[in-house]
Amino acid sequence: ICVGVLPRTACILRIIALCILLSHAAAYFGLTGREPLVFLPGPFSNDAPTGKAHLKQCEQMTLTRRQKRLCRREPGLAETLRESVRLSLLECRYQFRNERWNCSLDGRGSLLKKAFKETAFLLAVSSAALTHALAKACSSGRMERCTCDDSPGIQHREAWQWGVCGDNLKYSTKFLKKFLGQKRVSKDLRAQMEAHNINVGTRAVKSGLKTTCKCHGVSGSCAVRTCWKQLSPFHDTGRLLKYRYDTAVKVLSVTNAATGETELAGPRRHSQSPRTTDLVYLEDSPSFCRPSRYSPGTGGRSCAKDTSCQSLCCGRGYNTAMHLTSLSCHCQVRWCCHVECQTCVREEERYTCKNA
Amino acid sequence: MVCGVDHRVDRSTATLDTSRAPNRKTEFTLKDILNPPELHWNYWFDFVSTPESGLSTTSDWPRLLICGSMNLAMGCVCRPVSWPPGRILDSRHCVFAVTLVMLLMQVVVVETNTWWSLAMNPLLIPEAYIIGAQPLCSQLVGLSPGQKKLCQLYQDHMQYIGEGAKTGIRECQYQFRHRRWNCSTVDNSSVFGRVMQIGSRETAFMYAISAAGVVNAVSRACREGELNSCGCSRAARPKDLPRDWLWGGCGDNLDYGCRFSKQFVDAREREKTPLKGSYESARKMMNLHNNEAGRRAVLELAHASCKCHGVSGSCSLKTCWLQLADFRKVGDLLKEKYDSAAAMKLNSRGRMVQMHSKFNAPTGDDLVYIDPSPDYCLKNQSTGSLGTVGRLCNKTSEGMDGCELMCCGRGYDQFKAEIVERCHCKFHWCCYVKCKRCSKTVDQFVCK
Repeated sequence: ICVGVLPRTACILRIIALCILLSHAAAYFGLTGREPLVFLPGPFSNDAPTGKAHLKQCEQMTLTRRQKRLCRREPGLAETLRESVRLSLLECRYQFRNERWNCSLDGRGSLLKKAFKETAFLLAVSSAALTHALAKACSSGRMERCTCDDSPGIQHREAWQWGVCGDNLKYSTKFLKKFLGQKRVSKDLRAQMEAHNINVGTRAVKSGLKTTCKCHGVSGSCAVRTCWKQLSPFHDTGRLLKYRYDTAVKVLSVTNAATGETELAGPRRHSQSPRTTDLVYLEDSPSFCRPSRYSPGTGGRSCAKDTSCQSLCCGRGYNTAMHLTSLSCHCQVRWCCHVECQTCVREEERYTCKNA
Repeated sequence: MVCGVDHRVDRSTATLDTSRAPNRKTEFTLKDILNPPELHWNYWFDFVSTPESGLSTTSDWPRLLICGSMNLAMGCVCRPVSWPPGRILDSRHCVFAVTLVMLLMQVVVVETNTWWSLAMNPLLIPEAYIIGAQPLCSQLVGLSPGQKKLCQLYQDHMQYIGEGAKTGIRECQYQFRHRRWNCSTVDNSSVFGRVMQIGSRETAFMYAISAAGVVNAVSRACREGELNSCGCSRAARPKDLPRDWLWGGCGDNLDYGCRFSKQFVDAREREKTPLKGSYESARKMMNLHNNEAGRRAVLELAHASCKCHGVSGSCSLKTCWLQLADFRKVGDLLKEKYDSAAAMKLNSRGRMVQMHSKFNAPTGDDLVYIDPSPDYCLKNQSTGSLGTVGRLCNKTSEGMDGCELMCCGRGYDQFKAEIVERCHCKFHWCCYVKCKRCSKTVDQFVCK
């Protein structure tokens, strides 16, 4: 930070500025925020939110001042934020259910302080979830300041006419930039990495935008068609981000000789900057086998005998226990129109990793 | 399937002749002291001069010492065989002998199941170089008294026991090649060192696979007619064999191999009489269970193998016989059992029960263990672990052989190594393959 020759005051000022920037940069939301995550309740309740309830919700969440202000202005935002946190948590846990680090919330604080691959994934998935939730909220009419997709083009006006509402991704990305405050990216490597990864998350959602059409011509033919743009389900985005995690690139900072700015660059051998769709990280992750401050370890994790127990249990072996499960069986359709099932109880073997 | 009771080996001669053991006599008359029975002193002498020879368990230690001290009380007539008979020592020499005993005790503490030493190269005995000569049983190190008796009765089996142990050790080294403890042998007498004194999962696996190796080797030898006391398999025809196929041929004599392995390998365990509720009794039960699990693994994987010999090789006529599975498959099965081994402990009544009762109880096919595994990361004299310094690791792997886990977070060095391998192989008519040698440099990673 301080190159030797500078006077002390300038040096101190730089450090303070950096601290402010860093603390500012660290106040991201959701999985990457500082708040303790309780498992939030399910999707939106059916009754319309009353006028002042959202203010209380905005206060409950840990947000910066600017974010709180945005939250207060927009009544539907609080619910959307909670929805995005829930979405990102579920998706993260689903994608990592067979890995040693299973996105448990225990070591999240220490994990976020370091720049591992897992931190990169958390950043990407929380920004992706926020984008996705905002766009869906816009199209579902839960937000006051945005509506359906209104990008220019006759097809969208037609779509609106016929009762279809495209997801408003443009508003969503603009709002996200405002919300997370990414106007200036400092020269610090860590901040650059975080900005890059957040970008990856939003791009992943954008790449999942697909044109969907509905045919409603004469007797259902496709002579008349209405098309609109719709976001792919969040599972697909999650899968894409997991793939990016698997192919993440370790970077270090180099100074671009032409422009004089620092930028991220891959390891020496490749000597080209990582693509804008790659996740980047700075440090090698530890193995999450043993309990550490980053994770509770893999002891007690349930695994599948033939496939995941080998890698998950880190060679410690597994215990077998019998477990009673009930499931529906002998289902029959009753006219008309419900299905009646009986419950069968079955004993199956459950495998859990040994502790030591 | 369970190994049956042995009818051929005469039980009365196969058990240890306990009347000649030193620890049976606890009272000495004056006549005994002045003219001690020869064999009694032989044991004493053997023990003092060669520490590695057939050491008995810790439970025998106090009794041997009692022998010495009782003699002290009686006027101490410690008389090793090599010294001229008739000489009576005074108490000073007895004290010296006892202190020597105690010093030697520090060096080799508990029992080491050293019948595995038969696998290590036994060609140090010059008689073995003579074609057809069998090594004398008393010169084989590491056998318990019962095993020595069996050796004398079945001298021709010894070579196959050695081969079986060698197969077991080799398979163990293959299965554990990617893990921190890679089943490496330390020396020729105690083979694995002190690692086997801890009742861990690795010990369980080693006991099981060595018992399985002996079954394999002896059964094969029976079929090939190398042994006098057994021949081809006389197993019953399996029920699921189609009726048109013939059952016969010369199958591997699994029945005999199983029974002989049971007699030989379990002999050392059965001789021990530990106190009820002690660690030794838990170890005895664990070892017996694991030996049986190993044998059952071989029995389970043996299958009927068939050959078509009808008109011009068609399968109109088919003969089947019992054949042992490839030992690699036995190793894989036992490795699976190793992964799912059950932790046991002794309950108040001295029986072995599961440590956590909510898990499935182990069957006779599963492996059991009583101690958690020691840390194989660092070299440790007391546990016998060799550490992982200097082990090769795989940089790209996420498993146990990846550099993360193998080096236990200590980091690794990178070396360039020249590997010479065969390449550009060509088949020449008729009938050999000729290859050139190519050398290439690869990156190798070695743990710090």
